[in-house]
Amino acid sequence: MTAKNTFNISEERRRILLVEDDLVGQESMKATLEDRYEVLIAETGEEALEIIRKQRETLSIVLLDLLLPGISGIDVLGRIKKDPEYSRLPVIVMTSDNEAEVECLTLGAVDFIPKPYPASKVIRARIRRTIELYEDRETLRLTEKDQLTGLYNREFFYHYVAQLDLYHQGTPADAIVFDINHFHTYNDRYGRKRGDEILKCIADKAMSYVNESGGIVCRSGADTFMMYCKHNDDHKALLTRLSACLNDGTDGDNPVRLRMGIYANVDKTTDIERRFDCAKMAADSVRDRLTAPIGFFDNSMREAEILREQLIDDFKTAIREKQFVVFYQPKFDIRKDVPVLSSAEALVRWYHPKLGLVSPAAFIPLFENNGLIEELDHYVWAQTASQIKDWKERINISLPVSVNVSRINLYDPELTDRLLNITKENGIKTENLLLEITESAYTDKTDQIITTVKDLRKHGFIIEMDDFGCGYSSMSMLIDMPIDALKLDIQFIRSAFKEQKDTRLLDAMIKLAASFEVPTIAEGVETAEQYAELKALGCNVIQGYYFSRPLPADEFEKLMIESPKKEDK
Amino acid sequence: MLTVEKLEEYGADTKKGMSRCADNETLYLRLVDVTVKELSSGSLGEALEANDLEKAYYIAHKLKGGVNNLELKPIAVPLCELTDLLRNKQPGDYKDLYDEIISRTNDLLAL
Repeated sequence: MTAKNTFNISEERRRILLVEDDLVGQESMKATLEDRYEVLIAETGEEALEIIRKQRETLSIVLLDLLLPGISGIDVLGRIKKDPEYSRLPVIVMTSDNEAEVECLTLGAVDFIPKPYPASKVIRARIRRTIELYEDRETLRLTEKDQLTGLYNREFFYHYVAQLDLYHQGTPADAIVFDINHFHTYNDRYGRKRGDEILKCIADKAMSYVNESGGIVCRSGADTFMMYCKHNDDHKALLTRLSACLNDGTDGDNPVRLRMGIYANVDKTTDIERRFDCAKMAADSVRDRLTAPIGFFDNSMREAEILREQLIDDFKTAIREKQFVVFYQPKFDIRKDVPVLSSAEALVRWYHPKLGLVSPAAFIPLFENNGLIEELDHYVWAQTASQIKDWKERINISLPVSVNVSRINLYDPELTDRLLNITKENGIKTENLLLEITESAYTDKTDQIITTVKDLRKHGFIIEMDDFGCGYSSMSMLIDMPIDALKLDIQFIRSAFKEQKDTRLLDAMIKLAASFEVPTIAEGVETAEQYAELKALGCNVIQGYYFSRPLPADEFEKLMIESPKKEDK
Repeated sequence: MLTVEKLEEYGADTKKGMSRCADNETLYLRLVDVTVKELSSGSLGEALEANDLEKAYYIAHKLKGGVNNLELKPIAVPLCELTDLLRNKQPGDYKDLYDEIISRTNDLLAL
């Protein structure tokens, strides 16, 4: 036999306060209700208010007689309904006075039980129904609002936005998302309490705005708020108003800064959640732009997002169907009078069956962010190694080709084995597969990176430090990490040869690399002037459109055959 | 000793009265007894005698509630009339009505 579960809220006896001075009324009501409810009795208004004050949290309903000694029932009702702490407590008035009904309803009574009483079963049914409705309403109240700020939560917000649309179809509206730049740092630096104060402050300002101007607002996440309001052109004023209480000096030189994304004049045929996705996209577009913290959604953002999603969706198929094609951009050794083809960099292109040729700028950063770059790297390494093998077998040329090793792959404990397998499977030497590691990877998990690089070099791989000069760790890195070549960041070259040509920094970098006996490679070289200057400065290898764009394998093969070889020098 | 049958003979609608007491006959009879004692306690008469109409109204209203709930109809008729007069503080023949209430109460006590 199973014991009854007594720890169950639905089985709990609800508590009723009966305010009645007549013994017959008390006893008959107790007989009616006591098998299902716990009945507390107050014979006066004062007693009733005292019980409510002490036991508010556990009271489910008040049954209130109107004619009482001392404070009248009407007064008791008025006091309950005026006090925000008690006002949600449902009160049923018991009276024989029909004329009192309107006054009691106006004051907030939820129902009447006439006197003389109806039959017990009728009273039980009315009370049970009233308690159910009250508890449902309370559940709704507690779940629809964020407890900290008192704003709607996201789900109810969307529901009420739909209601607003129904009643105000013709009113232009804005979907707005706003949040705090680097909010987590405020909690870390000033404590959770201060963080909560900030959130409440913003919520109050937002609430005050929508109360005045129309609309609704919710807290949709930790520090993210969403607002749906009548269209307004002056969003700067709104941002100022929302931020008004934030920069009171409490947080020193680290003022709280909001950023805001706006989908203005929303298309009401667009799904509501989608509208706020758009506003969020606009907010993300101004991340960290402290001087321009308002972003506006436009269709190009949506198109870019759709493209990103499509590229992610199509990635697996593209790998399987070999839609990614490796191009080769030659690198020329320029130390002698005649530039000599010394190696190439493998650069991936995507021939998408529907989109045509997709720029690497569109998919490399995307795949770096979501981790797909790991698989794409593996693909490029294998394709490149296979191509090196093919050239060696068919035309007897073994030209080293560099491949990129993304940050995520540098943390792969099986990186060395993976690369060794690729070279072994293709029968090529490890020094023929050059590895380009971006300088910025060095800033995280430094020790692990250094260990990995040392291990790779031990197995004969040649390491080229890519994008050198764009990060912050360049100098110390040269001391700590053994590398075989240093590729100057393309922006470095561009900056040096702007209108106000200034190659002093370039000169210093090349000399610095030389002092470590590390050859320099300059990429992005486009003009004869750049070539000549870099040669004069002592740069060793050049890569760029001045010599050649990245070439398909067959065109690069022709270039290799026709180019002077090292042995021809 | 009061019984449901005697109260029926007296003119009370005991079925209806008991329906308000979860059909508990014992409780019903106990409440009738309490109400009759209250009626015969003389508190209403004293208030009327002292011309304290506010107090008289409060007592009459309270008694009316019990009498009506218990469906003691012979007493309810003059008691409701008296309560209405007192509510509106209308001048009237309170004494006659009160006497009738006491008379009907005595009838009940004699059962």
